[in-house]
Amino acid sequence: MRYNEKELQALSRQPAELAAELGMRGPKKGSVVKRRLVKLVVNFLFYFRTDEAEPVGALLLEHCKVAQEEPSGFSISFVEDPERKYRFECHSEEQCQEWIGALRRASYEFMRRSLIFYRNEIQKVTGKDPLEQFGISEEARFQLSGLQA
Amino acid sequence: MKLNERSVAHYALSDSPADHVGFLRTWGGPGTPPTPSGTGRRCWFVLKGNLLFSFESREGRAPLSLVVLEGCTVELAEAPVPEEFAFAIRFDAPGVRPHLLAADGPAAQEAWVKALSRASFGYMRLVVRELESQLRDARQSLALHRRSSWKAVTSRCKPQAPDRWSPGLENGHTLSRDCSPTGLVEEGGSRPAGRGLAEWELQGPANLLLGRGQSPVSPETSCFSTLHDWYGQEIMELRRAWLQRAQGSRPEREGQDRP
Repeated sequence: MRYNEKELQALSRQPAELAAELGMRGPKKGSVVKRRLVKLVVNFLFYFRTDEAEPVGALLLEHCKVAQEEPSGFSISFVEDPERKYRFECHSEEQCQEWIGALRRASYEFMRRSLIFYRNEIQKVTGKDPLEQFGISEEARFQLSGLQA
Repeated sequence: MKLNERSVAHYALSDSPADHVGFLRTWGGPGTPPTPSGTGRRCWFVLKGNLLFSFESREGRAPLSLVVLEGCTVELAEAPVPEEFAFAIRFDAPGVRPHLLAADGPAAQEAWVKALSRASFGYMRLVVRELESQLRDARQSLALHRRSSWKAVTSRCKPQAPDRWSPGLENGHTLSRDCSPTGLVEEGGSRPAGRGLAEWELQGPANLLLGRGQSPVSPETSCFSTLHDWYGQEIMELRRAWLQRAQGSRPEREGQDRP
């Protein structure tokens, strides 16, 4: 699958939701922990060698599961292969919780669900569709049916 | 740069809702070798969130390409003849060529341009935050409205209140006089001696008003102002009685103001 790598690299330079140096271990068996600068930008998690400007890689954070891993780390795995985990080590429980929370909220799917929820609640309270003012009430992505996916 | 391609492809093919789908002709984007006639390659495109996938066909089992729609603008474009209904995805990043795409007709072109313009994560985040604050405001104004509708009821209540209250007040005064310690004693202990005076005093005005078919908990007293007046009356009666007792215990004092 081809993808616009240059554009993704540009994205990795954008302001991050969260960024920190963490220990990172790839999903392959026997992989070792490496220090990486990890950066959360929109629904992508970029990871850099600590002294390089271009990312080593990126993880798209859709349909992923973020789990706490003892003692103070977390893992990211994906729906199609839950045992294949990218592992990260934090320096504290607090930092770990911060990352887990941010990563769980980082997907477009999560935002879509939030939007549908708020739209519904506002309609209940005011009787009006708040998306009408944006002219986007008919768009597929904002429909209640989207919650079933 | 590595990418979790297997997961990305899985997401593309999953049944999570697509935001827009359709056939488009494409040139110059990734995964699009030029066609001999230069007419652009016709692919099946699927937009999910900020990700635009292309497939060889509707039944394609693997995406041909992915365009991440961040840091870009979408605008109508001049297509290489003979194509029409073209638009371009232009990136802010330097050295990135715009992706040229063409739809089958004007309606499709417009629909795609709209959908792609609103595809960024940032746009979605803005809308979510806006709705979040709208919901907060809506809930607050609902709460305020409830409070002010109490006030509205009050303003309807107010003209009646003096009528309701004045007889009560008079009776309350009367009762209070009768119920003062001296009054009780004079009446020869119509109440059991053991009964607390305070309790009796408290019941006085309330009993009176209860007798009129009103009570602090009846439906009519949904008006806060009415409730306030209720208990205000009780408190006033209590205070009056207390002051009378206080003065009653010092009858020699002159120039003492009565409450």
